[in-house]
Amino acid sequence: MNSLTYSILQLLIIILVAPLVNGVIKKVKAFTQKRKGAPLLQMYFDLFKLMRKNTVVSETSSWIFKATPYVVFTTALGAGLMVPATTLAAPAGFAGDIIMLVYLLALGRFFMMLAGLDTGSTFGGMGSSREAMISSLMEPSIMITLFTTGLIAGTTSVGGIMAAVKGMPAPLTQPVFIMVFLAMLIIIIAETSRIPVDDPSTHLELTMVHEAMILEYSGRHLAMMELGASIKQLVFITLLVNICLPLDQLVTLAGIGAVAVSLLLYVAKVIMAAVIIAIIEVNTVKFRFFSVPNLAALSFILAFIGFLEYFVLWR
Amino acid sequence: MVIPAVGTLLRVSIILFVSAAAAALFFSHWQKLCNTASNIICMAASVSGISAAVLHLLDGGERVVIASVDTTVPIISFDLIFDRLSAFFILGLCILVFCVSIYSIGYVSHFYGKRSVGLFQFLYSTFILSMFFVLTSSNAVFFYIAWEVMALLSYFLVVFESEHAEKQKAGMIYIIMTHIGTAFLMIAFMMMYAYTKSFDLFGDSSAIPQQARNVMFILFLIGFGVKAGVIPLHIWLPYAHPAAPGNVSALMSGIMIKTAVYGILRFVLVYLGVENTWWGMTLLILGMVSAVLGVAYAFVEVNIKKLLAYSSIENIGIIFIGLGIAFIAFAKGNQTLGALALCASLFHTLNHTLFKGGLFLGAGSIQHSTHTLDMEQLGGLIKKMPVTAVFMLGGSLAISSVVPFNGFASEWLTLQSVFGTIGKGQAVLNIAAIVAVAALAIAGALAAASFVKLFGISFLGLGRSEHAIHAKEVSPVMYTGMGLLIVPCLVLGIFPSLFLKLTDGLVTELAGKSAAGGLEGPFMLVNYPAAATGNSVSPLQILAALAVLLLLTLIVLRLVGGRYLERKYGTWDCGFEALNSRMQYTATGFSKPIQIVFRMLFRPSRELKLGGNYQYHPESMEYTTSTEPIFEKYVYAPVVKMITDLSRRMKFAVQTGSVHRYLIYIFVAVLALMLYNRIA
Repeated sequence: MNSLTYSILQLLIIILVAPLVNGVIKKVKAFTQKRKGAPLLQMYFDLFKLMRKNTVVSETSSWIFKATPYVVFTTALGAGLMVPATTLAAPAGFAGDIIMLVYLLALGRFFMMLAGLDTGSTFGGMGSSREAMISSLMEPSIMITLFTTGLIAGTTSVGGIMAAVKGMPAPLTQPVFIMVFLAMLIIIIAETSRIPVDDPSTHLELTMVHEAMILEYSGRHLAMMELGASIKQLVFITLLVNICLPLDQLVTLAGIGAVAVSLLLYVAKVIMAAVIIAIIEVNTVKFRFFSVPNLAALSFILAFIGFLEYFVLWR
Repeated sequence: MVIPAVGTLLRVSIILFVSAAAAALFFSHWQKLCNTASNIICMAASVSGISAAVLHLLDGGERVVIASVDTTVPIISFDLIFDRLSAFFILGLCILVFCVSIYSIGYVSHFYGKRSVGLFQFLYSTFILSMFFVLTSSNAVFFYIAWEVMALLSYFLVVFESEHAEKQKAGMIYIIMTHIGTAFLMIAFMMMYAYTKSFDLFGDSSAIPQQARNVMFILFLIGFGVKAGVIPLHIWLPYAHPAAPGNVSALMSGIMIKTAVYGILRFVLVYLGVENTWWGMTLLILGMVSAVLGVAYAFVEVNIKKLLAYSSIENIGIIFIGLGIAFIAFAKGNQTLGALALCASLFHTLNHTLFKGGLFLGAGSIQHSTHTLDMEQLGGLIKKMPVTAVFMLGGSLAISSVVPFNGFASEWLTLQSVFGTIGKGQAVLNIAAIVAVAALAIAGALAAASFVKLFGISFLGLGRSEHAIHAKEVSPVMYTGMGLLIVPCLVLGIFPSLFLKLTDGLVTELAGKSAAGGLEGPFMLVNYPAAATGNSVSPLQILAALAVLLLLTLIVLRLVGGRYLERKYGTWDCGFEALNSRMQYTATGFSKPIQIVFRMLFRPSRELKLGGNYQYHPESMEYTTSTEPIFEKYVYAPVVKMITDLSRRMKFAVQTGSVHRYLIYIFVAVLALMLYNRIA
């Protein structure tokens, strides 16, 4: 399978699976609350509807406000292309690595924070300010986690890391990967605005971060922001499951069949991760905003201990 | 076409800078002519300098002697020698001077009728010339003189608008700090002469014993560290840069603090040669501290220029991290990795010259147009100053090192060199390196947050004061000058191979190995060097992919959503219907969460004063917040107090005013000298 075909396939998978993750999380939450909950595919319906609606744009805002959804969405998609869902097909046809992944997502976040300030609304500024704090505190932990896995694999390329862990016997039995797994779980929760860091299901100004930044968006702009956020979530989940839980070595088929099986395995892993996130979300309450640094510190320390274990203590 | 020799171009450049200074004085009665003439001559001079530097970087091998003046003292000769290292920094200097001079034609106009334009332009041109001499002098004494002249001229420029006590204080702190640094350099140069009997920078340093080398490294580090603004020697920087006029702060932050990087490379790497791992480790640790603390202070700052000044400290920190990694690699004999780290460090040096120069010019434009630099007074400038806004955004993106700007390219190289440093079984270095990764990460994220704050609060939303509401776009020369610095940021970010090819000769000369040796693919669409760590990315490909994705998004939106229909409406105000500029988030509010999280560092204090007669019904309120400058309070203040106390005691103990006592001093001194002579 050539890399262009696979890139298109990867793009489709990312776009199609991303809203599903949100659906699964919501469904699990509903079940635990003894509700039926919205349909699994509700987010697709929402996005479809939003795309067809007119958009309302604030009079105060400038071109930044209108450009932001496109920047956020395309950078999220670009990041999606960088994290291969399967290691069996040729990786996406352009060169990107973990460092570029982080700084590409930073571009989207930069614009999102600006858009929050662009409308002159207090909510937007509040969201941007909080996002600035959370992202600054999480960044060291993200970099150390990804760097540690990169160092173990001997490369910073995302595909290279995933291919390297595939050859290891059960990564999750090694202390360093346990630490990485836990650190990344916290990163996912913080980066994708989930409980206990942020609450995606409320519009209460005391708690909201991501929702506050995109409060003024409507119509297709909102659709892009929502889908962009869920793609970003999927990117982090993909990193988690394909680094800590590689299953591609189990596939014994060849050719197209192997890719298909591998992708099915991938979707299964993603759903599993979504269930874990949902369980965490059900069982915790939202933290006080100034308790979030503790979570960031915990994630940082886990990643740091993982690094120390592998590179300093052991050899 | 005959390409003139590098030496000729440089001589032309120097002569033109001198004539710019002369023109400034000669025409000082005709302000407009004086301004235009001297700036245009400076531009011509820098064009000549740029061509010489590029020519020399690309294919120059031999050192070029620009001028050679012998003095009556045999060991001191005023030689100007141009090698690749000088060429690299001269390139940065001349690019910056070219753009700043275009900008100055518009900017200096606000001095008309108020201040002496002739004097300003004279100081400006000679300041540039002094930096030119610093970067090309080949004799330590000459270097020292040029260095001192540079410090003095920049001091005069800092206090040029000195009617405010604050600016005088800024100048005072600057001149004292810079002289402390110079004192250390002087001791280092004396040691240099004591061991080698020569002041020649290109001389042989093998006669210097190991212990003396270590001492000299420390002396150079402190001497140049003050100029670079490395924490804890940084305290002058956030005072001096904001006090100076806009174009001067661009020069100071863009290139003057880089002369310190030049100094470290010239004296430590080239002259002494790196042999000890702890040298690199010291630089690495200083770099990490500067990067993190610098940007943390930047984030809570509400004055645009102070924010930029603190951000310069952060960027110097990043450059030092690269240098530290390079020095460690050289000491361990890993030339390939050293080349990569050195390349990263040089790249960041040039990048910072470009974007910080541009951003300081932007700050100057804001001040020119609104008469304030306080973010709490600004807002909504994107509609009043659209062009400046675009360039300011570009500069902010570049300095936040996001893809696809040049900041990312150098940050990527730095991180790659750290990546290459970590190996199994070296505990201390591994821990230092991974902490450096964390430091770079938090510095990057906080830098992005700081520049979201700078741009978001000043340019977006509603104007917070009359000044901001009535702001006007600055003149085309001003935004052109600024834009010429910002556009290359994007170009270098997309085509980083341009830089790698340009400096390949220099890196090979310094490191003994090429960092761009592994460049693959056709020109302009290449990956980073695969030599050291074997990793590669291509910003151009990513950008192309993003463009394709954007196109696809637009097509899908059109197909599914139909035509784009938009309605303009007021921002959601909770039905209150009176949303005004005072309800927006403020600059202070924006950084409050970080200030609270890092209260150990900032030690914020607030004071609420209630006015009126009734406690529960105050008629007026005054709320002030402040942060504590810990370095000034806990490091510098005790030293200053000790010195003043000591001086006061000396005044009564030694300098009593009694003639008899002074006669005894003279007698004892003469006796001591005679004894010394006898023994020696």
